[in-house]
Amino acid sequence: MSGASPPSPPSRRAVVGRRVRKVDGFKLVTGRTAFTDDIALPGLLVGRILASPHAHARIRDIDTRRAKALPGVHAVLTWKDVPRVPHTTAGQAWPEPSPYDTYLLDSKVRFVGDRVAAVAAETRAVAEEALRLIEVDWEVLPPVLDMEHAMDPGTAVIHDEPDATGIRDAARNLAGDIHTHIGDVEAGFRESDLILEREYRTPRQQHAMLEPHIVICWLDADNRLVIRTSTQIPFHVRRQVAMILRIPVSRIRVIKPRIGGGFGGKQEMVLEDLCAALTLASGRPVKLEYSRHEEFFMARTRHPQILRLRMGVKRDGTIVAHHMRVLAATGAYGSHCTTVQGNTGSKVLPLYRAPHLRFDCDVVYLTTPQAGAFRGYGCPQGYFAQESLVDEIAHELGMDPIAFRLKNAIRQGDVDELSAQLGEGKKGLPRTIRSCGLPECLEKGAAAIGWKEQRNGGVRRPGRLLRGVGVATTMQGSGIAGVDFAGAFLKANEDGSFNLQVGATDLGTGSDTVLAQIAAETLGVSLDKILIYSSDTDFTPFDVGAYASSTTIISGGAVKKAAEKVRDDMCCFAAQLLDAPPEDLVCRDNRVFAPGGKSVSMAEVAVHALYKEKTQVMEGASHFNTDSPPPFCATFAEVEVDTETGRVRPVHLVTAVDLGVAINPMQAEGQAEGAVAQGLGYALAEELVLDGRGRPANANFCDYKIFTAKDMPKLTTILVETEEPLGPFGAKSIAEVGINGVAPAVANAAFDATGLRFRRLPIRPDAVLAALGGRR
Amino acid sequence: MFDRLRAFHRPATVAAALRLATAERRAGGRGAFVAGGTDLVVQGDGSLRWVVDLSLLPLRYVRRRGAGGGWTIGSTTTMADLERSAALRRFADGVLCDAAATAGSPQIRNRGTIGGNLANASPACDLAPPLLALDASAVIAGGAAGARKAAGGRRTVALERFFRGPGRPALNGGLLVEIVIPAPPVPRGGRAAWAFQKLGRLQSDIAVVNAAAGVIVGSDCRCRWARIAIGAAGPTPLRARRAEALLVGRPFDRDAAQAAAARAAGETRPVSDVRATADYRREMSRVLVGRALDECLERMGRDPWASW
Repeated sequence: MSGASPPSPPSRRAVVGRRVRKVDGFKLVTGRTAFTDDIALPGLLVGRILASPHAHARIRDIDTRRAKALPGVHAVLTWKDVPRVPHTTAGQAWPEPSPYDTYLLDSKVRFVGDRVAAVAAETRAVAEEALRLIEVDWEVLPPVLDMEHAMDPGTAVIHDEPDATGIRDAARNLAGDIHTHIGDVEAGFRESDLILEREYRTPRQQHAMLEPHIVICWLDADNRLVIRTSTQIPFHVRRQVAMILRIPVSRIRVIKPRIGGGFGGKQEMVLEDLCAALTLASGRPVKLEYSRHEEFFMARTRHPQILRLRMGVKRDGTIVAHHMRVLAATGAYGSHCTTVQGNTGSKVLPLYRAPHLRFDCDVVYLTTPQAGAFRGYGCPQGYFAQESLVDEIAHELGMDPIAFRLKNAIRQGDVDELSAQLGEGKKGLPRTIRSCGLPECLEKGAAAIGWKEQRNGGVRRPGRLLRGVGVATTMQGSGIAGVDFAGAFLKANEDGSFNLQVGATDLGTGSDTVLAQIAAETLGVSLDKILIYSSDTDFTPFDVGAYASSTTIISGGAVKKAAEKVRDDMCCFAAQLLDAPPEDLVCRDNRVFAPGGKSVSMAEVAVHALYKEKTQVMEGASHFNTDSPPPFCATFAEVEVDTETGRVRPVHLVTAVDLGVAINPMQAEGQAEGAVAQGLGYALAEELVLDGRGRPANANFCDYKIFTAKDMPKLTTILVETEEPLGPFGAKSIAEVGINGVAPAVANAAFDATGLRFRRLPIRPDAVLAALGGRR
Repeated sequence: MFDRLRAFHRPATVAAALRLATAERRAGGRGAFVAGGTDLVVQGDGSLRWVVDLSLLPLRYVRRRGAGGGWTIGSTTTMADLERSAALRRFADGVLCDAAATAGSPQIRNRGTIGGNLANASPACDLAPPLLALDASAVIAGGAAGARKAAGGRRTVALERFFRGPGRPALNGGLLVEIVIPAPPVPRGGRAAWAFQKLGRLQSDIAVVNAAAGVIVGSDCRCRWARIAIGAAGPTPLRARRAEALLVGRPFDRDAAQAAAARAAGETRPVSDVRATADYRREMSRVLVGRALDECLERMGRDPWASW
């Protein structure tokens, strides 16, 4: 942890805790060349993918002769042309806990949009003409589209290939399963005064990030493969591509420029392998990108789930037992399948300290678009169910939903043992709660929404517009305990600036700014003195990547350690100039001060070190945690239900979140607000719909509705700061937790307004109208 | 996207536009007129071989039609022009401005035109219901069916007959140049009101259902004239004529409005798609027509019977 230096008191901090502007803000708003596509390469070819028109089929034969003969075509690849290496596209630390059930190209397709072949050509038009000239002899197989029947006897087997590994039971289309418990739920139910059992359904949500997946590959002067890609996981991509193409890691360099959003959709190697293969086959630079249409169904989605929850409580509101059963669909491939679903249990159930918990989960394959990582990572599904059920139980008991939650919620000093059983694909580590601001979140959030005044009470009153308020409490993690780790490297320049090199990936989260703030605060310099660069596998240290709400706590921890070492080095050289012992020196305001007040500038120290002492001040550090401190969140929603149209309109959303210490409160609020926008889409509008043959019915922004500025309600964001001992400057995380409570808070508010429970997302107007009984 | 496009024309007159289109058609290959491009570009029809751009034509105007109170609107008038037109805001309760303001986003409305909105013949076209409720007509220049030389090669088609089916406008290769709105027949001492209603899934959306109503009452507060038009509830935007008939000749009040709305819903022929089910659309037709008629009542100075 944070070495010798005692933490500086928050009030004395110059950079951390301040609302500084994003370090990359200027280049973004002025449209500078920041993104993957913002380069021009001579001889660049355009890659295109032949997507499967069938949900499930075998390719008896494929004839590419006419495509190859087309002028301007430089490479045509099918499964016949590439190595067959089972792998997972999930961007997870090695060894990945996801099954190895995916191939660069295969003689079988498993969803509409699956890869059949790929072409690289002089222009997009030629590439698409070449795709049309590829002749495929199909053996169409029965699609498997219903997760409730995927394991039925006689159902077509989706992964019948012999070389896949890590699949739980391929013959039953079972990708993975999880069964774990604490105590004995059946005994717990026998002790309960009230038991409720309910079923909830959640949709296939798409990330809809601004920048679709895009990769540009080329061979450099030394014939090394360069992959410039929009990814959250540059180091995992390097390892995965090396394995899939059977080339050494040393022959690959991955460059991650600025990323235009990911939300987990880029915690995945989606196009890099194929683009690299096209470059190797053609010897030319190749660009491969998804169109918006393709992004919807050929990238990744959130896992749809059916959840059945059974909860038993005492009459006084004490939760005794909770049994959560989950059926989830991973789609055609099992990327992130057991880890996302594991989270549905491990980050949801322990929020309430019941002595008897049980989690059972099956994750099935379907011939549908592939699911993967998505902000919240299994929690939005679990919390929609749990927070809806808890609300219903509180209502049944005649208890205030806030009081019920406070009575049962986990608190500081508690140890969550379920997390120990549900690690990242293996046994995990128990989670000790060292900081918890949940009571304060509930209190401040309730005041902001007007909880007492606005509550309607779940009774249907007359009138066209009905209003109600609802609440949900949630938590998440901050990095994966014992798995996530990061490196950081710092060196001093002669003007008192410092290069900070990190493998972390800012995908719009603001992590470049936060990490630079941590370095500046630790070194006692102003933010403009930190030149952050992220990331390039040749020049920046390893980092597992931007996921699991890990960057501030894990990468930030590495930055803080490296900065402390550099600060100590600078003090040693300053000691020579100030004629004082290094341990007595203090760094602040870009200077180093001796106890008497005498000081030298960082620039003078750096010049002294470089030109006098012939030493480059530079230090690296690595960091990991053996625990994942949860941020806590109370989400409140006020909604208006139109009883004639069935529309549920959010009026006011309050997010009160305990994120530890906010390194940058402005960015933290932005994360919370963005999570609400995405959460409202999940609650009320977003769903990738498939037709009876597995084809996407709304793969465009016209018919896949996300919340826009015009749809957003009033937002109130309250940062409840606690001091987390495991985080740099007391920080935990903020990226994901805010999305978890939006859907249940909206559903609970809709109940408060109408007296009706909505247990299926998104809450569609026609369903609301049907529940209201129409008004004919 | 438009890889096969080989000609992009930008004529300055309607005659030149028609001549170019005729020549291109003779030469073979699919083509299109384009104004704002907000549909054409999104549709991304890769088979297009030629495009005739209408943006230089002198068709961007909103004018009074004689002294009678009618209007003519040029077909390349943008949705934003309509939305912001102070003159149209004062006409028919600003029903055209209200409808235009719901189409797409500000960027789309700055480019999209009334001609494009109508000529795509989408059943969900936002301008169709208010224009149908104003008895508007489309003026078409050129095209097959023996160009009407007598009227300078122009013919006028009632808007109701302009929509033949989804994506099937009655253009016959001609060019929509103008929309004509006659003066509403408001009698001396009578009152008139119009209203537009739209329901989308979210704020920026294609209509799940849209509707417009126009009502004229005499000095006796009886309805003299009624128009009810509904979009996205059938293969074309439609007039609910039986509902209109239910209103005419009777006192116009809330009960009449609700009865007409219920009947209007029965005249729709909606489909189920990814946006909504047919049942939901039918029910929403009733709700939106009811709301539009209620709004008309409000605008007439609340219940006309109140002053009776």
